[in-house]
Amino acid sequence: MSRDGTPAAVPSGVPSGVHRTVHTPVDEAVEKPVDGAGEAGAAVDGPVDAGVPPTPAQLRSAAPGPPVRSCGPLSLLAVSLLCALGALAVDDWQQAAVALLVQLLCLPLVVGRGASPGRRLVPLAVAALSVGWSTVLAGDSDEPLRTAATAALRLVVLVLPGVLLLGWLDPGEAGDHLAQRLRLPGRVVVAAVAALGQLATLAQVWDQVAAARRVRGLGAGRSPLSRARWAASTAFGLLVDAVRRAGRTAVAMDARGFAAAGVDAPRSWALPAPWRRADSVLLAAGALVAAVPLLVRLLG
Amino acid sequence: MPDLRLSDLSVTPAGARRPVVDRVDLDVPAGQRVLLVGPSGAGKSTVLRALAGLLEDDVDARGEVLLGGRPARPGEVGLLLQDPLDTVVAATAGRDTAFGPENAGLPREEVWRRVAQAHAAAHHVAGRDRDVATLSGGERQRLALAGALAVQPSVLLLDEPTSMLDAPTAARVREAVLRAAAGRTLVVVDHDLAGWAPHVDRVLVLGRGGLLVADGAPADVLAGSRALPADGLWLPGAPAPRPVDVPAGLLAPQLAVPGAATGDALLTGRGLGLVRRRRGLRPAPPATVLHGVDVALPAGRSTAFTGPSGSGKSSLLAVLAGLARPTGELTAAPGLAGGLPPQPWRWRSRELAARLAWVPQFPEHTFVRATVREEVAATPLALGCPGARGEQLLELLGLAHRADVNPFRLSGGEQRRLALAGALAAGPAVLLADEPSVGQDRGTWAVVAGLLAAAAREGVAVGVSTHDERLLRVLDGPVVALRGGTRVAGVAA
Amino acid sequence: MSTTLTRSSSPGRWRTVDLVTAAVLGVAFGVVFWGWAVVYAALSPVFAVLAPLSGLLGGVWLLPAVVGALVVRRPGAALLAELVAASVEALLGSHWGVGVLVSGAVQGLGVEIAVAVFAWKRWGVGVAVLGGVVAAVLEGVYELFAYFAGTWTLGFQVLYVACFALSGALVAGVGGWALVRALARAGALGAFGAGRELHRRG
Repeated sequence: MSRDGTPAAVPSGVPSGVHRTVHTPVDEAVEKPVDGAGEAGAAVDGPVDAGVPPTPAQLRSAAPGPPVRSCGPLSLLAVSLLCALGALAVDDWQQAAVALLVQLLCLPLVVGRGASPGRRLVPLAVAALSVGWSTVLAGDSDEPLRTAATAALRLVVLVLPGVLLLGWLDPGEAGDHLAQRLRLPGRVVVAAVAALGQLATLAQVWDQVAAARRVRGLGAGRSPLSRARWAASTAFGLLVDAVRRAGRTAVAMDARGFAAAGVDAPRSWALPAPWRRADSVLLAAGALVAAVPLLVRLLG
Repeated sequence: MPDLRLSDLSVTPAGARRPVVDRVDLDVPAGQRVLLVGPSGAGKSTVLRALAGLLEDDVDARGEVLLGGRPARPGEVGLLLQDPLDTVVAATAGRDTAFGPENAGLPREEVWRRVAQAHAAAHHVAGRDRDVATLSGGERQRLALAGALAVQPSVLLLDEPTSMLDAPTAARVREAVLRAAAGRTLVVVDHDLAGWAPHVDRVLVLGRGGLLVADGAPADVLAGSRALPADGLWLPGAPAPRPVDVPAGLLAPQLAVPGAATGDALLTGRGLGLVRRRRGLRPAPPATVLHGVDVALPAGRSTAFTGPSGSGKSSLLAVLAGLARPTGELTAAPGLAGGLPPQPWRWRSRELAARLAWVPQFPEHTFVRATVREEVAATPLALGCPGARGEQLLELLGLAHRADVNPFRLSGGEQRRLALAGALAAGPAVLLADEPSVGQDRGTWAVVAGLLAAAAREGVAVGVSTHDERLLRVLDGPVVALRGGTRVAGVAA
Repeated sequence: MSTTLTRSSSPGRWRTVDLVTAAVLGVAFGVVFWGWAVVYAALSPVFAVLAPLSGLLGGVWLLPAVVGALVVRRPGAALLAELVAASVEALLGSHWGVGVLVSGAVQGLGVEIAVAVFAWKRWGVGVAVLGGVVAAVLEGVYELFAYFAGTWTLGFQVLYVACFALSGALVAGVGGWALVRALARAGALGAFGAGRELHRRG
């Protein structure tokens, strides 16, 4: 506990993604969190910690979780892309099955305490089914079921590693690495990270707009057309808010010297972006997994 | 320390004919504390942004701002904005404060030294590793203050830094600001004249039309308050304005609720609870925002919901409005439900709209039509019962001359009034309004208060969440005090 | 215009408001895509019969790029907005995993090509439609190759890309252009060219 009585925020083994506080409709009607007893003790100076804090990856390493928790964003992204690329080599359902089996064997390295992949996998299942079904319908094959199974399994092999690995990606950390290691333009990266931080707020705005429309008799109807119209007009309310919010955020950022960042002196980064051993291990292992479809195809 | 000098500032927004700020000169000696007040729309924020050198480049701005006789360098002038949600740029408190030092290109160790200093100076005690999403409103504003202090400005500009906070939290943030401002020049824009006046050296009053109408020591300016725009400012000690009269019948419910004699509850909640689930992938612990709340909303009365921010007022109002499915029992009186299931959250959109209305706390992004006139007519049209109520409401609320304007272009106070008009236009039997009096000046406050009181007189079951003591006195009905999501005895501030 | 009052901006350098608006638009569309997913699910049974027609719904995914380009009017704005929107999807767990980031890049580039053809000087409905079509064709081809493994008959593949292109033209092109105009009317684009033109006309 910190001294004002609120739980100190110790980042757990769970990567702090952008979806921390996305709420259900009207769950709090944009009410600010409690300003209660916590504020009372605020007049005391706390001890100040002046050193450079650990990076998100170091914090994750210190907490329990599957081995992949220690990896940084670049290796996660690289392996996700490599595996997707590797899946393109699949041209038979048996290759896909072997590749999927290898991926599933690696599962304990990626999922475990603190990461529940269940809900992330639902869209993947939907996508696989729809790819398979549409291949049956639109395919050009003597054996439509076999082709469909291949297409569906291939999609799973293509998508699964990314879905699981990107669950460990921390947007702020990704920004640090993209700017410092890949030398992407700093201001663009910082703006993107700041915008991603607004996701929870914008999701709340969506809920507010939707609630206001419902109570005014303009809620979503049953027919697809009325739903599409409902979605479009709700989206418009959200976009107006988003553009306004962006304008205010830009003023706040410029008030802290963002406009001139990097003009006279290069912008600095509060946290380093180290490539650690875990990253090398993941990259090597990931490259092997990614190569499985190709290897099976060559050997088979 | 350098003096701040603004000379001959005139600002005309793009597309406008008249300036919002008209030939304002301002000399602020180093270390002075200045409070800038004025009615809404008088250009206070524009002056502040000009002082920070942060006006948009599409406005027509003339004049010059100099710090110690030269243009300010980046970071020399710090600016704090109204809504700390807009100020946050990173996921953790420490990283957010580090933003300014990073922009200045400071070495990493120096960045974190600055962060520690700024957190101490701004009384941000939540810690540098704290996830910004978990901060309360007051903590957020202190973090924003730390972010401004981390670039070590010699001038600190504050744009309504406490207006989104309840009174006790606002007082604590004000205290943190005043301590942090020691040894700096301070210019504050705020409606809360009473709160800031004892702590500043000088009060400036901008009048309508963007002209400076008063300038002096707080005591002198307040003493000469007859010269000030009377309906624009909430002067300390002035009596609450009298609620305006509303024509009889204007707010009578469209749906005659059979058997709802005055005093019968139209909505009754028993043991209402609401758990805030997290939409997202990683299950964060769900938070209980309401727990075991018993409440009744009688026809013909105004029920007030009070409590500090985060106590669950807004959530309770949304539950009563059928916008969220609570645990416990929420039942509409048979006369109100009229054959529908008794739980409002099960009603369809039009069924709901024909019975009740809800004014959200932040209505600025919830408009549904492209002009003010269409906005007010939207619900009556959707229900197939267009009428003249909307036009009359616009007239009363001082929005008739804005009828052809896009609702998104209105000022904050105007938008709040429009939301109220839109809610009342279809003649609901239940009205739920979330902080309806915020951001109104004395004139428009009297209209809002008058409408709420008149609705209750006409038999509407009115529910209002508010911090506003003056409004509580006008409503004069049952008070439901909440704290931490549960009902507590008495009237909580 | 005084230089000490307004934010300094040089023609080549992106203003902060350009960067943040493009990025926040991307995030907002990321949120919209959740809502769209509901509609999409409601409509998908329609396409169980003729799968290539599902391309008709694809234009929605291109909106961030078109709107980002038309609002910010700088080279790269479409790419930034679309990539941020794709990142939101990827972080939340998309149907296509990391593929959604590739899609984001492909779609963003498609719109960038269209605005580059007009040398970043034209921002009307024509450019928007062209951007929608180019992005849709690129994305359609990418999807057929990457996700559907080229298993469809040529006729169906052409039909899919044609449907996608039509949707890109109407939903992303005309729809995106209309959206930007509506945003300008709502007074949200004061800091941008689209908002200023409205003032000049009105």
